[in-house]
Amino acid sequence: MKQYSGHRALDGVSMNVPEGCIYGLLGPNGAGKTSLIRILNMITRADAGEVLLNGEPLREAHVEQIGYLPEERGLYKKMKVGDQIVYLARLKGMERDAAVKAMHEWLERFDLTEWRSRKVEELSKGMQQKVQFIATVLHRPRLLIFDEPFSGFDPVNAEQLKGEILRLRDEGATILFSTHNMGSVEDVCERITLINKSRVALEGSVKEVKRNHKKNKLSVTFDHDVTLEAAPQVFDIDVATPGSAVIHLAKGVEMRDAITFLNERYQLTGVTELLPSMHEIFIETVTQPQQEATA
Amino acid sequence: MKRLRLIIAHEYMMIVGKKSFIIMTLLIPFLIVIAGAVPVLIAYVNEQADSNVEQIAVLDKSNGLAGALVPTDKYKFIPINAAGAPETAARDFYKKTGDGITAVVVIPEDVEKTANVTIYSEQTIDVSTKEYINRCLGDTIAACRLASHNIDNLEQIIDEVKVNVTVNSIKWDEEGNEQATSTELSMILGMILAMIIYTFVLMYGAMIMNSVVEEKTNRIVEVVVSSCRPVELMFGKIIGVGLVGITQFAIWVVILGVGGTILSMIGLSSIAAAQPAAMEAAATAPSSVDGSGLQTMLMAFGGVNYGSLLVNFVLYFIGGYLLYGSLFAAFGSAVDQASDASQFTTPIILFMMIALYAGIACATNPNGPMAVWCSMIPFTSPVVMMVRLPYDVPLWQQALSVVLLFATALAVTWFAARIYRTGILLYGKKRSFKDLFKWVLNK
Repeated sequence: MKQYSGHRALDGVSMNVPEGCIYGLLGPNGAGKTSLIRILNMITRADAGEVLLNGEPLREAHVEQIGYLPEERGLYKKMKVGDQIVYLARLKGMERDAAVKAMHEWLERFDLTEWRSRKVEELSKGMQQKVQFIATVLHRPRLLIFDEPFSGFDPVNAEQLKGEILRLRDEGATILFSTHNMGSVEDVCERITLINKSRVALEGSVKEVKRNHKKNKLSVTFDHDVTLEAAPQVFDIDVATPGSAVIHLAKGVEMRDAITFLNERYQLTGVTELLPSMHEIFIETVTQPQQEATA
Repeated sequence: MKRLRLIIAHEYMMIVGKKSFIIMTLLIPFLIVIAGAVPVLIAYVNEQADSNVEQIAVLDKSNGLAGALVPTDKYKFIPINAAGAPETAARDFYKKTGDGITAVVVIPEDVEKTANVTIYSEQTIDVSTKEYINRCLGDTIAACRLASHNIDNLEQIIDEVKVNVTVNSIKWDEEGNEQATSTELSMILGMILAMIIYTFVLMYGAMIMNSVVEEKTNRIVEVVVSSCRPVELMFGKIIGVGLVGITQFAIWVVILGVGGTILSMIGLSSIAAAQPAAMEAAATAPSSVDGSGLQTMLMAFGGVNYGSLLVNFVLYFIGGYLLYGSLFAAFGSAVDQASDASQFTTPIILFMMIALYAGIACATNPNGPMAVWCSMIPFTSPVVMMVRLPYDVPLWQQALSVVLLFATALAVTWFAARIYRTGILLYGKKRSFKDLFKWVLNK
């Protein structure tokens, strides 16, 4: 859905976000995520390269189809909650009446109705975050860009927010997600791009990426409290406790063969392939800059 | 356009809706009235408090000039009966009488020639006492000197010589019709208009800057510019704040107008009855405008071309406000908090001060080279041209000045928009003019 390449903070970055997808944009601090997001929002322009939205080159009228929640949250502190939401929605091209109606609905949904006529500065930080979220989505954008959406939310509110994000996706919005929180990436993202040092370091669906980074690790459990004995020609033992173990396969050994090998000698009750977490993949990719990008 | 209107309305309401704005708008007219009343009150209080009488001894060695020192409510003069006594007698007398006497004046024999008297005291004598003695003796000595020439009908001659020339200025229009003008009126009118532009630009320019800085510190700006172009936001601000200013001025004019009318209808008579001394003090101030002067003034009110003045005022007002307002916006975008902005605003304020002082100077020489130049340079023209305009500036100069002002204002706005666009998204580092220049060149 979007193609983009070239910038000093972004070098040859190209990514494709399928419609209706929750897409994770990952990368360490200073990798160029915010630069990219600002370009997508037409806040700044790229020095080279282009952005396509639904196959069309991005133009000014498109801002009405985009909702943006910046990492550094900000609202007019002296303005009333309701007025503020309506104003920001009208800036995005919404008619006043429609904006007011939608504002009431959303405040209801987030239990903020009684705060409608209060100034933003009187609200708690969590409530301000909710107001900002409402202001981002009120004009029913087709593309939502969230920069660290969960920061500042307690677990209960974060769960509610996650539910809303999934609901918006189900209603047809495409969601681009920038975050450091790998847990939330595994939870909600279907595809990711990892940017490191202004370049794309990783790209693909979460499953694909994980499979490409698997270390052939298995977690095995046994019926009795036996302890796994070493078999260096088949696997190395990472952890062995009575009744269970974590092993990784020796070079050239297929998982099938290892299971057969174990099954002949022990009473297996379970074998699970251990895929690396996004957290591990992130750290591995970022701390090994010489590594080739895996597609 | 719809978005710009929305932003203007928002910026306007953000300021007008504030309690502090409402309070200030209502309070300032009263502060102005108080500021005007304080000098009158002080003069009144001063007069009242200074009621103790000063006793001054006079040692007169001349032939009776001591008589020129007329006693008043404030001063009593006690002659020392010691004609031909040495000057040290003054000291003896002072010592002898002690507390009652503040000072001793010694009038020497040759005072008519030298016009020198000496005043002795233990405490420094205040200026008003010296002045009073100077005035009394001066008049008398002058009269004596004149008398020594032995001219007949002297007083009559002097009365005839005293002249106050009233210069009536009459302006011809193209058909040769005559119209009374008044230099004083032109000057006052010009200065008022210049002051309005000066105050407006600085006050509301600072307001624009604060609004920019506030959006930046609140971090709301990133959300807003994801919905509109930064230049729209900047213009929305400048126009919105400008409308706030016009609203505020309109309210002040109404309050001062209504208040003034009410005061003059009921207030003044009762004040006059209660405080005659204060009224007297106040009344002496405009006494220079005598009957005929006032008449010319009133006639001259009709001699000003209000239409052209108004059109020009609006033009210079818009041009000057746009020019300085966009600079304030640009500088506001370059800082994280308003207190950091002084390095950028100092040059602006300096320019405005130069404009104001040039304007004041031009009031006495409205067609001199400085007046002409300063009314052409866009950074000073809005203020200086206002001072010149009531004196009929050639049309080509007006046109050139307006064109220059607007061309510069547009160019500066363009530069400012480019600085603003970059500045609002950058935090942390302290910026210099060099950085701003780089931002202008940024793609």
